[in-house]
Amino acid sequence: MEFSSEFIPLKLDEVPSLSDRMKSEHARFVQILAVNTDAGVDLVYSFMMGDGALQNYEVKGVKKTDVVPSITGNFLAAFVFENEIHDLFGVTIEGIAIDFGGKFYQLAQSEPMTIISPAQKAAREKAAKAAEAKRARAAKVAETEYAADHPDAIKQMKQKVSGIDPAQMADFEERFAGTDPEKLARIKAAFAAKAAKAAEAEQSRKSKRETRAAELENLDPEKAAKVRAALERKKKAAEAKRAVGSSNVERDAEIEAKLAQLDPERAAKVRAALDAKARKETAERAANTGKDGE
Amino acid sequence: MGKATVIPFGPQHPVLPEPLHLDLVVEDEKVLEAIPQIGFVHRGLEKLVETRDYNQFIFIAERICGICAFGHSMGYAETVESLMGVEIPKRAEYLRVIWHELSRVHSHILWLGLAADAFGFESLFMHCWRLRERVLDIFEKTTGGRVIFSVVKVGGVVRDIDAVQFAEIKRVLEGIKDDYRQIMNAFLKDSSVKNRTVGVGHVSHEDALALSMVGPFARASSVNYDVRMLGRGGYAELADFRPILDDQGDCYARCKVRALEVLQSIDIIEEMISRIPEGDISVSVKGSPVAGSEASNVVEQPRGECYYYARGNGTKNLERMRMRTPTSQNLAGMTAALKGCDLADVNNIILTIDPCISCTER
Repeated sequence: MEFSSEFIPLKLDEVPSLSDRMKSEHARFVQILAVNTDAGVDLVYSFMMGDGALQNYEVKGVKKTDVVPSITGNFLAAFVFENEIHDLFGVTIEGIAIDFGGKFYQLAQSEPMTIISPAQKAAREKAAKAAEAKRARAAKVAETEYAADHPDAIKQMKQKVSGIDPAQMADFEERFAGTDPEKLARIKAAFAAKAAKAAEAEQSRKSKRETRAAELENLDPEKAAKVRAALERKKKAAEAKRAVGSSNVERDAEIEAKLAQLDPERAAKVRAALDAKARKETAERAANTGKDGE
Repeated sequence: MGKATVIPFGPQHPVLPEPLHLDLVVEDEKVLEAIPQIGFVHRGLEKLVETRDYNQFIFIAERICGICAFGHSMGYAETVESLMGVEIPKRAEYLRVIWHELSRVHSHILWLGLAADAFGFESLFMHCWRLRERVLDIFEKTTGGRVIFSVVKVGGVVRDIDAVQFAEIKRVLEGIKDDYRQIMNAFLKDSSVKNRTVGVGHVSHEDALALSMVGPFARASSVNYDVRMLGRGGYAELADFRPILDDQGDCYARCKVRALEVLQSIDIIEEMISRIPEGDISVSVKGSPVAGSEASNVVEQPRGECYYYARGNGTKNLERMRMRTPTSQNLAGMTAALKGCDLADVNNIILTIDPCISCTER
């Protein structure tokens, strides 16, 4: 005799025939258990065959409205489990030899095993997200591997990137001269995606403006004037905000002035460090946009 | 012929170690039917698996039962290991078997004491429990605990037993063996004990099979089944294992099977100690069980076959953990054994199935 365990799918209406078959094969009834799932309750009927094989027959997704036939006619020992499953999971089981009618366990809460705790729910969602992220990572790795195996794919990607303005392109070549070509291709693709996105956004803005103008035409003149004034104000505010953003240039000038006071050797070092930092930030941003793009 | 009366029996009754209720339908002094009712100590331990890490749950699994605590932790660990495809070192398997068999020795001696108490032999009860203390002392020396050991973990065991301790265990077991033989004689040869057990609560071989009985209760009706003969884990290394059977199917046979199993367990422990390999006692287990993966497992507890089922959901918590304990399987057999017995024998028969209701309800 050697132990083995297997899980075999079963349909709900096959339960009585399974019970009869197991009885005729002199299998020993082991147990019935239930598992609460989103699709309903899964029932697992276990039998031990004469040669030590443990067979678990699985009925998936039993609904509240389903009626499960009892197997106590063939296996009296199942009455404990059938009453238990009825009390803890709310599954309706018909024809139990010793039926306690829902009073088998003294419970404060009816069907306690079907309640999913918030902690459990959160953990499950987190796990689903992690699995999704893992899948995405695997897809990315597969993509790079593909690119390594097919160098002309990178060339095609480069052609795609040609949408970017030439000055920026030259800047790329210079900045990432040392990095490996795969990574470069990815970054370029990300930039291209960004450019395409920006163009698309511009397009949608334009069409929006047009529709708005058309709408204004239809409004009565007084109200239209008001709306126009409000839009104008909004535009001005946005411009002012953008002006604040450009203060970076001023900051750079300040740093430059400070560096001039330092001794030249040290200034060169600081400059190199700042440069490296800026480059790193750009690369990171590029990588992030790449991720979003995918 | 009198009129049928229903006598409620338990859950509070001097002879019952656990809360079990029986409705005894009696006519004169004969029991016509016995309907068991449990459900007084349902603690929802299986539900707890949803909020505990699979490594933490081992401590809850251990606390399902105070007598077969080690068996439950071992069964749980084996199930999770097969769910995650972990293979544990040989030495850990041997150590698990040694502790598990020691648990069986202490459980069976405890039961013999309770049985003696049930048929009114109080001093025999005291002798049994005094002997059992020595086994508990071994547990204390090797694990630090007398009831709950917490030595099993997913991936092996957390404590090793050294050669000095093994020698000590062997010496103590030899001593127990001698004293135990005397006690066993009282159970198996004393005429006043036999008067209470021989021919009482008979279950035929066919009934035992039809009612899917397990453990010593079934083996006393010559059902040739013991999970240990399937050679799981360390049991695969045993030179020879044959379940102890008896064909009488009465209280005396059940007493005899358990009494002899104590000696068998001591032999297994000695064999394991003499052959235990050197090496690691655990492997590190990383990651979580895969979503939707399932595993089932059986372990021979002192009371019989115990079934475990686990399903993972991709998190550190299991989706479902299920323990089907031997007592829940034997309840149907118990009602069959009670049919037609004398009212005075009811307590005796209930005890001979060695019920553990707290296990059953979890």
